Amino acid sequence: MLSWSSTEAGTPADLAAVAEGAGDGGLPFGAELVAFADAVGGVDGDALVRARERLIAAAGDAFMIDAAAVLANFEMMTRVADGTGARFPVDTAVHRTALDARLDIARFTSAR
Amino acid sequence: MAAHTASLQHVASRGASFTAAQRLRIATVARDAYLAADPSPPWERPFGEAALDVAYRLARHAGTITEQWYEQIITEGMHPLEWVEVVGIVVASVPVVAFARAAGQPPPVMLPPEPGAPHSRVATELAPATLNWVPVAAPADQTASVVQALSALPDEWENLWQLAAAQYMSDAQMADPQWNRGTLSRPQMELVAGRISLIRECFF
Repeated sequence: MLSWSSTEAGTPADLAAVAEGAGDGGLPFGAELVAFADAVGGVDGDALVRARERLIAAAGDAFMIDAAAVLANFEMMTRVADGTGARFPVDTAVHRTALDARLDIARFTSAR
Repeated sequence: MAAHTASLQHVASRGASFTAAQRLRIATVARDAYLAADPSPPWERPFGEAALDVAYRLARHAGTITEQWYEQIITEGMHPLEWVEVVGIVVASVPVVAFARAAGQPPPVMLPPEPGAPHSRVATELAPATLNWVPVAAPADQTASVVQALSALPDEWENLWQLAAAQYMSDAQMADPQWNRGTLSRPQMELVAGRISLIRECFF
């Protein structure tokens, strides 16, 4: 989705931001968004406070709230997929090979 | 967020297999698991009660759940539709908690349970799926696996997608790569989505 939407928007994304949490993905406030996502995905409450404040300082309160909503959505959707054994159809899985390798997805227990 | 209030009301309502009080207990376990500073490891079953153990693992260690573990829980006696309902409760409560934590707001307070017995409302016809472990509404595998995932239980399915429309975007908006929330652009949304999904080790 990131590759598709960013290409359509005329700014092809750098997947290093997703894969390694490095850089800004070529997007405005990308580094702050990645740091916020990393903090939400972590357990350090102080780090979350710092990442939230950094994002607000860069992009504003409304931007942070919407980022929090998107993060909440994917805390939900990942659990829908993992809790119901969601798979890709074989014909579409073939097209994901390069992306899966870039993100090292084969190491995930959830890979089906 | 109105969608989150609606989701907490959904959790506190009677379910297909569980009473509202049972659903609230499952949701509370999920909330506490998500927020736990020192969670038990994924292979432990801290409650010795299938519905609560599934909720705990899904809320905290979702990426470790395997088909083998699903089959083990079902073999022990949990009905597959009970499993689907537990998933529905966890995904009705965790995003509300996650949003509050991310935004620096207090954890949500659960609502009082609706009285009464489970309502037994399920899809008119169920079918085994090849794209999911769990049974789904017939006909199976006509839509994406995440879309049909909770379709066996219409109330859980509807709550999931009203949350998704509010937190992310609706189906209609998803087809438009230029659509955005007015703050984040679509690529910024997908960057956040991709990064948290990778952190959670969700291959999907």
